[in-house]
Amino acid sequence: MLDDNKASKLISKSLRVRLSEKESQQVEDKLESCEQTQKFAALSKAIQESVAGNLAVSKMGVTKSNAGGLTSEAKLRLKGSVLSAVEEKNSLSQAGLISGSSVEIGKTVSHTPEFDSGLEEYRKITNRFHLMRVLGEGGLGKVWLARDEQLNRRVAIKELKSESSVSPNARLRFHREAEITGHLEHPNVVPLYQYGINQATEEPFYAMRFVGKRTLTDAISEHHDRIAAGFDCSINTHRLLSVFLDICQAIAYAHSRGVVHRDLKPNNVALDNFGQVIVLDWGLAKIMEDSELAMKVNLSVDIASSSTLIQTMDGEVIGTPRFMSPEQASGRLDEVDQKSDIYGLGAILFAMLTGKAPHDQELSESADLDSVLKTIAESETPRPLDVYSCVPQELDAICAKAMAKKRHLRFESVQDLAEAVEAWMAGQNEKKAGYDNLRMEGRELRAELQSYAHNLERNVRFAAGLPPIEQLMQVTSDQEISVWRERLSSIFEGLLQANPDYQNIAYLRFDEDSYTELVRVERIGNDSHKIRVVPKSRLTTATPNDFHQRVIHKLPEEVLTSLVCNPMCSPDARNCNRVGLLSAVPVYNDQTEELFGLVLINCDMQKLLRRQMERRLNAGEVIVACDTFNILMRTKQGQFCDESLSATVRDAAPEFLPVVDYLQDNLDFIDNTNCDIYGGRLWFDSNKNGVMYMLKSNSS
Amino acid sequence: MASVNPEVWVDEYGDYLFRYANSRLRNSNAAEEVVQETFLAGVRYSEQFAGRSSELGWLMGILKRKIIDYVRARKRRSELSTYEDENDPTSMMFDSNGNWKPGAVNWAPSPGQNLEMEELSAIVEDCLKTLPQGQADVFMMSIMEEMSTEEICEELGITASNLWVRMHRARLGLANCVGTKWQVDEGVKSNVGR
Repeated sequence: MLDDNKASKLISKSLRVRLSEKESQQVEDKLESCEQTQKFAALSKAIQESVAGNLAVSKMGVTKSNAGGLTSEAKLRLKGSVLSAVEEKNSLSQAGLISGSSVEIGKTVSHTPEFDSGLEEYRKITNRFHLMRVLGEGGLGKVWLARDEQLNRRVAIKELKSESSVSPNARLRFHREAEITGHLEHPNVVPLYQYGINQATEEPFYAMRFVGKRTLTDAISEHHDRIAAGFDCSINTHRLLSVFLDICQAIAYAHSRGVVHRDLKPNNVALDNFGQVIVLDWGLAKIMEDSELAMKVNLSVDIASSSTLIQTMDGEVIGTPRFMSPEQASGRLDEVDQKSDIYGLGAILFAMLTGKAPHDQELSESADLDSVLKTIAESETPRPLDVYSCVPQELDAICAKAMAKKRHLRFESVQDLAEAVEAWMAGQNEKKAGYDNLRMEGRELRAELQSYAHNLERNVRFAAGLPPIEQLMQVTSDQEISVWRERLSSIFEGLLQANPDYQNIAYLRFDEDSYTELVRVERIGNDSHKIRVVPKSRLTTATPNDFHQRVIHKLPEEVLTSLVCNPMCSPDARNCNRVGLLSAVPVYNDQTEELFGLVLINCDMQKLLRRQMERRLNAGEVIVACDTFNILMRTKQGQFCDESLSATVRDAAPEFLPVVDYLQDNLDFIDNTNCDIYGGRLWFDSNKNGVMYMLKSNSS
Repeated sequence: MASVNPEVWVDEYGDYLFRYANSRLRNSNAAEEVVQETFLAGVRYSEQFAGRSSELGWLMGILKRKIIDYVRARKRRSELSTYEDENDPTSMMFDSNGNWKPGAVNWAPSPGQNLEMEELSAIVEDCLKTLPQGQADVFMMSIMEEMSTEEICEELGITASNLWVRMHRARLGLANCVGTKWQVDEGVKSNVGR
């Protein structure tokens, strides 16, 4: 039989959906035998009915009873906001900014003396400030958008919540918060305009610059949304890091005045419309006893006791303890000082780099306060790289140092932390510039080879269109043949002289299962200046290889260009020691429209690449590999490496393997994170046959 | 076009809308905020009031949407910080073998006693305030607002199974709280009656 717990689950389920027959039976059996289960079922049903009944009653209409309704103060507030909304709408519609019936509403709002006077009393908190609407709520106070009548501008007003003022310390704490904020005169700390008492409620308030509602939390989540959508975000990363430096400035300044913020997190950093960074909420700030401010500010209400700190954090708006330092989380509040803010800054950096709050990985969404505090206090501080693999290593190290669990391992000062980040950004700029050059170099090499291949194709097409090609198809007498052979040979010789990388040019005729060379002109051995016309007796007749077969299937004028191993050897030659870039075009008989043969240029790929690399390159290392991953050419610091052609990237340069893999499906490999390796590939035909250039920067 | 009378809204409907919102959000500040939002939206979109329903009905429509928006925003706000505990009443009410602990559900209306629904619903409303927000919200949306599982899951960004777990925990918590309060109330009444 079901245990009680499982039975209770089925009963819950039955209140919303129909149970299966088996489940119903199980519940029936349980109900018969267990009184507590009966009680639970009856009570749950009654509760559900009572709420539904309540719904029915409330649906009937408005009861005039006042019980549980709005307080008269709240009514005045509401009337105030309704009135200002009506006024705003009227003025907008009169200005033609919105369509609508201002007059209609205007007419219906009758400004009864009673309505207006009560309203004025509430909205006007002093002669100077009029509250407009609530912007947010913190542990101690409520923040309003208000109008400054004297200077006709918008300001933010923080007012002590009436429920908070019951606590004896609340007023003192509120005053202290205002005092600390007011003493911190810094471009990245919100400026205070006035401290005063609300005439109507007699609660204290302070007025400050209205900085808008956008916080660093918004900026971070937008940034990571963009990354997830695949945008290039390197500029944005730099922007976020500049924000980080501004926060450091504010905190470094506060530390210089003996103030520790103690509640640093993205939500407490506002970003105004002008990109200004403002650190907010100094409500939990602590004043170091030996500081100059300590003389001026009332220290009797320091809220350093752990219970108040947690209590203050317990309000839903104040939010997350996940940015809290381990010493705070474990309640060692006597240890809380500037180093705790350094941890908080590190945690903000963590969120910027990963898009997640620290410890998000280990803690479930519904973890309660105790387990969050316990995790922060006891577990290892997380590293950004463990959460998100694209974090640059140096930043990961900076963040880990700022968030070190042992306080003495953290940066000595906020300034040191800021300098480390700044140095990385500067180095990054330099590195970026170097990487841009590397990319340019790589792309130039590729573009050069591409234009070389185009030239090769143009030449092979040109050769195939020469009159002797056609003539050698038609003539039959030996004399005529030798005349046209001679003419063709001399043109081929010219082509070879003009293109030092061309190894040979040939004109072939296809017979049933073989081909016969009609003309071949070639370079002699390693001496690139000597060219010979192969005598008729030494011309080859052989079986077409793979490359020939593919040309046979081409139509007139269609050129096939491809990398071929040992082009002059038979296809089964064991070791590949030369790689040729071959370009060929089929030759058709104009009269019979049948395939006759082909014209082929063979170009020495290694020679060509060697010439490319001989020019001064800035890259520290260059590898050119072919589609089979074999390395065609490798240089280190400008020196050629003696790699045999059988060496593959996998064996000889495994660090480039991910690049080679990536290039199978992509034109370029760009490494925005570490700015180290660039890769670019060029396929010569649709079979993914071609080469990959990989360049590694000099610095690494 | 039907015209609206914003100047009477607060006096005419304020209490009603506030009570409604308060019973859903269990927090008078929050309730005031959504009522304010409702009135502001009412002014802003006054042209859209077609006069087909009553003004109150129209405002109620806006209010219900604002309540859901508020719950969603509250959930999002506490997301980075979800120590809003979803504590599980199971261990409080069951022993390790899954059997009821004594007194977990204290419910014994005397036979024939007419359940006073109004009284019960007042107790339920009190008890909802003691539940963790995530549980009370799904209970409110599901039972009071009669929203479907899919709608709730979409609004709160939770899975259906998560919704079931929360609903069940809410029911356990409510049964425990309502049972206890009811006993106390009945005790007081019978003492007074004596």
